[in-house]
Amino acid sequence: MSTGSIVEKPELLMERSAMVKKSALWQWAALGAILLGSFGHLLIKLGVSAATHNGGGGSVIARIGHYFLQPAAVTGLAVYGGGTLLWIYAVSQRNISFLYPLTALTYVTVALGGKFIFGEAISAERWLGIGVVMIGVAMLQFSARGDRS
Amino acid sequence: MNPLTALWLSIVLGACAQIFLKRGVGHQQLAGGARSYLSLIRSGWVWAWGICFLFATGLWMVAISAMQVSYAFPLLSVGYLVVAVLSIVFLKERIPASRWVAIAVITVGVALIFKSQ
Repeated sequence: MSTGSIVEKPELLMERSAMVKKSALWQWAALGAILLGSFGHLLIKLGVSAATHNGGGGSVIARIGHYFLQPAAVTGLAVYGGGTLLWIYAVSQRNISFLYPLTALTYVTVALGGKFIFGEAISAERWLGIGVVMIGVAMLQFSARGDRS
Repeated sequence: MNPLTALWLSIVLGACAQIFLKRGVGHQQLAGGARSYLSLIRSGWVWAWGICFLFATGLWMVAISAMQVSYAFPLLSVGYLVVAVLSIVFLKERIPASRWVAIAVITVGVALIFKSQ
């Protein structure tokens, strides 16, 4: 019944597809933020691991300063920064209680990245965890239908 | 600093940062591209986000440099819960039951991913 009315009024179809496009933009932004965030995280971890070997002591501030001098950590932070700009856009569009748990997808992308880029093995238990996170994220999407902005 | 203290501080500061960010950009549409991004520099909320975010990241580095990642990462999902509670109090967000369940499911999934390390 409803499809019939769209066929009769093509402008309604256009309007609807424009709505879909606009509403999809924040999803791409959130996904991009998560992907860049994962890659940045890997680089940061690389830099921090390198730093731990040659400058562990001192105060917390001195240690943080030392981490910021590691090239891999700095590159990672820059990539992370690009993801952050996308994240800001997504946050401006949707509820934060919905968006923030979406970042758990980072664990999935890092695990899959480890497998397909570095050839790391993924145990059965980890595949299960990845599946459970994906189910949770799908449920999260479902929970966002009633959100106002 | 005790790595565990650093981790918990990082989680709470990170959650506060997200609340500040939403407070700062929630009513803007950011439709004007780069110019609307630049205008965010004038927002005190966005500054609060940046500062909290920076400290949260630094403390996270302190924590994972002295702690097993398989232990630290699942604890990070506590942040989803903290953000949800703070968003009710400070942003008046309405959280449906399905979202609490989704957050719980995600937390279990994250724990499973890192349990096997």
